[in-house]
Amino acid sequence: MGKRITIDPITRLEGHGKIEIFLDDTGAVDNVYFQIPELRGFEKFCEGRPVEELPRIVSRICGV
Amino acid sequence: MAKLKLAIYWAAACGGCDVAVLDVHEKILDIADAADILLWPVATDHKYADVEKMAPGSIDVCLFNGAVRNSENEHIAKMLREKSKVMVAFGSCAVSGGIPALANFKRREDILQRVYMDTPSTVNPEQVLPVTDCPVPEGVLHLPEFFGFVHSLNQVVEVDYYVPGCPPTAERIWEVVQAIATGNLPAAGATVGALDKSLCDECPREKSNKKIKRFYRSHEIIPDPQQCLLEQGLLCMGPVTRGGCGGQCISANMPCRGCYGPLPGVLDQGAKYISSIGAIIDARTPEEVKKILAGIADPAGTFYRFGMSTALLKGANR
Amino acid sequence: MNNFEPKIIGFLCNWCSYAGADLAGVSRLQYPANLRVVRVMCSGRVDPTFVFKALDVGADGVLIAGCHPGDCHYSDGNYNTMRRYPLMLQVLEQMGVDKRRVRLEWVSAAEGPQFAKIVNEFTEQIRRLGPFKKGELAERGAKVG
Repeated sequence: MGKRITIDPITRLEGHGKIEIFLDDTGAVDNVYFQIPELRGFEKFCEGRPVEELPRIVSRICGV
Repeated sequence: MAKLKLAIYWAAACGGCDVAVLDVHEKILDIADAADILLWPVATDHKYADVEKMAPGSIDVCLFNGAVRNSENEHIAKMLREKSKVMVAFGSCAVSGGIPALANFKRREDILQRVYMDTPSTVNPEQVLPVTDCPVPEGVLHLPEFFGFVHSLNQVVEVDYYVPGCPPTAERIWEVVQAIATGNLPAAGATVGALDKSLCDECPREKSNKKIKRFYRSHEIIPDPQQCLLEQGLLCMGPVTRGGCGGQCISANMPCRGCYGPLPGVLDQGAKYISSIGAIIDARTPEEVKKILAGIADPAGTFYRFGMSTALLKGANR
Repeated sequence: MNNFEPKIIGFLCNWCSYAGADLAGVSRLQYPANLRVVRVMCSGRVDPTFVFKALDVGADGVLIAGCHPGDCHYSDGNYNTMRRYPLMLQVLEQMGVDKRRVRLEWVSAAEGPQFAKIVNEFTEQIRRLGPFKKGELAERGAKVG
């Protein structure tokens, strides 16, 4: 059972991300998982909002 | 003089508040001179593990933006609260839920269903949903728990100061940073970086008698740039919103949507707006009232655009 | 829903509806003790915040009662109430609150029997609706953090 390296959070970009690196017994990379530990749900909560309001709402998907 | 130990963190956020800090332009160099930044994911490479190792109170000021949407947001909020002398709810999301809190109109399952199964460009034939603990051959992977309710920062930790705005403007941010650096802050619990008077006080437009016969949606008219927008039938939330933003939306001929939050002493910004609208509708019979109010599309979504975490009624999922 | 006793907050205006309630009392007309009365000078004083706060802190229903339009002691205070009310109901609905939990009625100082009848009916309606849980859709299984 090799080592596990967690990079949390990933930085210097917009958004949340986490990288899990699993090394094998020789220290080589066996597998890597990239996870996004965030969800806000714009796809759902924009439903029911007046269409002319959407520019001011969806612009908050990314403020960068 | 010891450098200010500063942390800037984002929860369920868009990055706009972080960029707003950078919008102080060259003054960022003054901030860099005066402060040691211990955590700022958008700009520096510090990890959560670095913060975990700190002694309580190691951070002088934490500017926390973003709403609390999941267990990681809550965990980091609590961790930063422990490590910080002063915790600031920075931006409308942290102050009152902001745009992400519009999700409080929807149920958790419906959000997950839409995002992971039903959106037109999603290909997920096995109907996989994210889980908090996912076994893989190498071990178990963890994701935060997606809450059924979007919280404001003060619903999960004690907050010392509130800086409203979506985002707070660069001028106000600079004032707040200076106040912090010089120790010139009011008593804890205060809202800073915003006026104690409404946006109407800052707004340069001509205001006269308000007697609304009809409401218009923003796309239905091109408003006169000199006259009060509310008088022209647009739902401007200026009367119930703190000033301090400089009326940026107003100068773009767009009605205010209330991102600077309620005035001092007001428990519920949307409720106040219902009151305001009631006072200015030109109607004497229930039928007339009904006809005029029919012009308001999505009252709750408009009146609580930035405040669905702190609304007294708090929406469907509570 | 056995033994559910609704808690109803009633905002009654001093000049008409509170006097009407008083008349009901003096006339020995029965109406349920579920109504907890808050006397305000005018129904126009009832900020929607009061209604939302009442629900927030445990009321199952809220009654607002004022003078009939045209009879307001302050001329047009009750017109404000009338104008706010439908908007308030719309917001309640959008927030997942059954709008039948909030009611606006005009009751004059002479209308003791009408007041008793309103409170009787409203109490039964709230009893049928059941206790108010903040976020009435919550029982459909939304997971809360």
